[in-house]
Amino acid sequence: MGAVTMWVVGIIVLPLLAFAVSVLFLGVSRKVTARIQRRYGPPLYQPVIDVVKLLAQQENVSHGVVFDAGVVLALGGSIATVLFIPVGGLHPLATGGDLLVVLYLMLLAPLGLALAAGAAENPNASIGVSRKLILALGYEVPFLLALLAVMVHSETTSLAEIARSQQASVLGWGLFRVPLSALAVCLVLPAMLGLRPFDMATAPQEIASGPLVEFGGKYLALAALQGALHSYIVIALFVDVFLGGGANVLTFLAKVFAVFLAGLLVNAVYPRVRIDQALRFCWKWPALLALLGLVVVMVAGR
Amino acid sequence: MQIAILLAIVLLAPLAVYLAGRLRSGARNALAVLVAMVPVVWLALLYGRTAQVDYYRLPFLDLTLSLRLNALGWFFAMAVAAIGLLSILFSVGYMKGKERLNFYYAAMLLVNGSMLGIVLSGDLISLYVFWEIMSWSTYLVISYRGGRAVAAGLKYMVMSIVGSCAMLLAIVSLLVRCGTLEIEALAGAMQGASPGYALFILLMFVIGFGIKNAILPLHTWLPDAHSEAVSPFSAVLSGILVRMGMYGFILIMYGVLGLGLLRRLGSGVVSFGYIFAWIGALTIVIPTFTALLQDDSKRLLAWHGIGQGGYMIVGIAVATPLGIAGGIFHTLNHCIYIALLFLVAGAIEHRTNGERDLNQLGGLAKRMPITFVGGLAGICGLIGVPLTNGFVSKWLIYKTLIAEGYPFLAFAALMGTWGTILSVYKFQHNIFLGQLPERYKHVKEVPFVMQLPILLLTAAILVFGIFPGIPLGAISAIQRSFGLEALQVGAFSVPREVGELNTIIILAAVAGGCLIPYVLFRLCRRSRSLPQTDTYGAGSYAPADRYQYSARFYGRAYEVIEPYVRDRVDAFYCWLVEKSEGGFEAVRHIYTGNVNTYALYILLCLAAVILAGLGWGL
Amino acid sequence: MDRAQIPKILKSPGNWGRKYSLWAVYFCTGCGIIEIPPVITSRWDAERFGVIPMATPRQGNLFMITGYVSLKTLGAIIRTYDQMLDPKYVVGFGSCPVNGGMYWDSYNTIKNLDKYIPVDGWISGCMPRPEAIFIAVTHLWTLIDKGLADGYKRYKDNYEFYSQNQRRVLPHLPKFAGEYEAEALTA
Repeated sequence: MGAVTMWVVGIIVLPLLAFAVSVLFLGVSRKVTARIQRRYGPPLYQPVIDVVKLLAQQENVSHGVVFDAGVVLALGGSIATVLFIPVGGLHPLATGGDLLVVLYLMLLAPLGLALAAGAAENPNASIGVSRKLILALGYEVPFLLALLAVMVHSETTSLAEIARSQQASVLGWGLFRVPLSALAVCLVLPAMLGLRPFDMATAPQEIASGPLVEFGGKYLALAALQGALHSYIVIALFVDVFLGGGANVLTFLAKVFAVFLAGLLVNAVYPRVRIDQALRFCWKWPALLALLGLVVVMVAGR
Repeated sequence: MQIAILLAIVLLAPLAVYLAGRLRSGARNALAVLVAMVPVVWLALLYGRTAQVDYYRLPFLDLTLSLRLNALGWFFAMAVAAIGLLSILFSVGYMKGKERLNFYYAAMLLVNGSMLGIVLSGDLISLYVFWEIMSWSTYLVISYRGGRAVAAGLKYMVMSIVGSCAMLLAIVSLLVRCGTLEIEALAGAMQGASPGYALFILLMFVIGFGIKNAILPLHTWLPDAHSEAVSPFSAVLSGILVRMGMYGFILIMYGVLGLGLLRRLGSGVVSFGYIFAWIGALTIVIPTFTALLQDDSKRLLAWHGIGQGGYMIVGIAVATPLGIAGGIFHTLNHCIYIALLFLVAGAIEHRTNGERDLNQLGGLAKRMPITFVGGLAGICGLIGVPLTNGFVSKWLIYKTLIAEGYPFLAFAALMGTWGTILSVYKFQHNIFLGQLPERYKHVKEVPFVMQLPILLLTAAILVFGIFPGIPLGAISAIQRSFGLEALQVGAFSVPREVGELNTIIILAAVAGGCLIPYVLFRLCRRSRSLPQTDTYGAGSYAPADRYQYSARFYGRAYEVIEPYVRDRVDAFYCWLVEKSEGGFEAVRHIYTGNVNTYALYILLCLAAVILAGLGWGL
Repeated sequence: MDRAQIPKILKSPGNWGRKYSLWAVYFCTGCGIIEIPPVITSRWDAERFGVIPMATPRQGNLFMITGYVSLKTLGAIIRTYDQMLDPKYVVGFGSCPVNGGMYWDSYNTIKNLDKYIPVDGWISGCMPRPEAIFIAVTHLWTLIDKGLADGYKRYKDNYEFYSQNQRRVLPHLPKFAGEYEAEALTA
């Protein structure tokens, strides 16, 4: 009975937690960016106001069924992914090979957004999607190499086990046991989060918000929530794999917050680079570091 | 006995269809569909049974030709029959109004029949005979359209013949050494073979089957052949015909040589399995990234056909239960979704007067919704989105690669997915999304006879993705029949000892996850639908036909990727052909056309033979 | 946020959202736009009022017509305004939209913006200072609270009037060629 209740609690709490944390982070991001820029910025609950305004929009426009379905799929895919990532002690749906499942579930949201953007019948949206996909091609190389190093090192493909195996001590964190791989992922983390210097997919000044160009009202609300959830998912994955997960929910959230703050600080000071510069960068130093990390793990394992 | 009758029917059907076509075209179409349905139904009834029937006794070599039905044969035969039926159904709509249709249907049925013969043959001579029939009937159908298709067919034919010669060499060698060519008997006779001899046989077969399966250095015929062939046949070609090479690999590697002998072929890094797996890995990465650069819809899909073959090779080369199951399952999955995608490309061609250039299309999702859904399902399967069949087979392959300690192979396989995502999104976007050009404003959806195969294949992708236990059960039977360890599978889960994959939970998570935004969506104000001209244009109005971003879709990435994936192998082969043509031209001069010279040749040959006989004391 | 606000928020969360989250369409219509970058950057920080610039009209609900409106720009303004989603607010910024300003006798500018698109508020000056923009924003909040910021409703109710005026100065606007979405606005 206890196990089933824990399971149900996990299923309900995880998405709620993810929503709350990601919306809080949106607000924190605007406040911190404002402070770095020596101004006051909006209140912490500004994203709530924004989402309420968008949902209460009195007119919504759509470009067809694919447009609607894509946005719903995007947010739905992110929520589904959230259910599979262990948070502190909560991992209701964790199973054996679930790092691979999570990696593939993370494809659903961009697929949904790409479909909706394509259906928007606007070349700005298509350019945005093409940039997003090229960027993903870029950061996946070091990211996958680093994840493979961790999987080989911990001899498991289960996220919960990877997180648990790091909890013995701070020196047991992935950051210290597979340092090259962790460094490689740190270098591409802004790309994965869509932060500067790699935010060219949704560049308002260049391509009129890219995939979001025709999103208004409820569509923009869902897309904004999806963006926030996506950041949370990526950071949660990073914390679980490299920063030792968390013995309970609070330590986990503290670590997520720390990583998020680091990304924010980078975002506040860097300009945007071009997409081919981003691709070349990701395939050069981070990929080399991650490759080296994997080789070290393979050699040391023998 | 039953399989002999089945085979006789499918091999005699082409003639019957040709003759029926001389009478009435409607009768021919109906007969073709009926004949294509026969193997599907018959094989479905034969599930789980094994049979063997000797059908001819070769007097001079003391060989018996036989047919055989076992788990592996049944699996591939079912795939052949199903894809054959769906492509014939599709042809009924697609080929309406084209010429030489009697010939087309006859050749299509001959190809299907000979493929059935390959997977149902019990000895290597039958296999070789049916293989050859399949090769040249394929050439007939590829070059059906004339023009560039003839050159493409010729390239295919030359490479296929080279492969067949290698196969023949191996078969003759086996005959000389083991005295029999029956596959069951060969398995026993090869138990005591030395690793060197086994490697030689394996290499010859790898060349033969590898050319058909298009592994990396031997793949250059595929892009031309698949894009120039007619779309329903491209579906057959890419779906199941190249996988005859896979059937051959599995047969020789596990049916004849066996796992024990395979493991003894080298050790550690320099072993057949490892090198073969690396060939597979390169076959995944390079063609998938080449597909990114293509502008022709069918050429893009053809390169994916090559790329996905790499996954299957990696799976069976790693030789673990998960790997073999993953490789065979991927063969089935690939045949489903690549056939679907070629049929979708064919449907688009049909309605847009043969347009294959991705830069000229756009926005067709509004006019052809069923085709769009088919395309979407196909690309999701190709990428391996969870809940599609491609995900399960890829998951099995990744799991085994990581568990066995091959992270670099796993990395190559994972990068293949990302190359796939980029290129198939371009495919889907340039055809179905974006703005609809003026000239296609009135295209209609394809007729039902063409929609049906698309819908059936879409359903198969989802059903096999959510209930992978259904095909995995058949695959476990294959593994057991070769004496290998099999996977224990439930209807929708792969069990705990290999790390659980439970597809129903994923389905529930995705469905539940999508429910929340859907509810939110419905609670908000209902949206108004916009025409395609009402889109953001910085205050201007969208110019008709000029507001689509499709050319050089990944423009910036091309400069980075293109230098690495230039097809140097094809350039090499073409250079080889050019140089040899000079030599062949010189040899041609023997044929002077002068009777006196020919009489001199005959005299010289006789003299040489007599001298040789005297010299050897014969 | 003081506790007196909470009942107001609960009564109409929509209004609360629209007030404190005014997203301005970043369309630089005329010379007055020169005052906007200082407003949205660090020194005068519009973001603390909830005002941030947005790239496309679909995402914006505040449209500031900054500076003079030439006929060519008017076409783009009308198109942008039509593409925005209800509820949407228009603020005429500077003297030119009010009465033609310093271009009062030009052949190429319009003298009274209110005839072509509905305007909810005016900020006069040439140029108004950033503080004036903030005062305008707070006035707009009051109007939204009282339900008087109803330019979008006036547009729909009197579409004939606006459309005729638009057509008179811009007869060749593609909107009037029939293929575009004009009819939906009169529903």
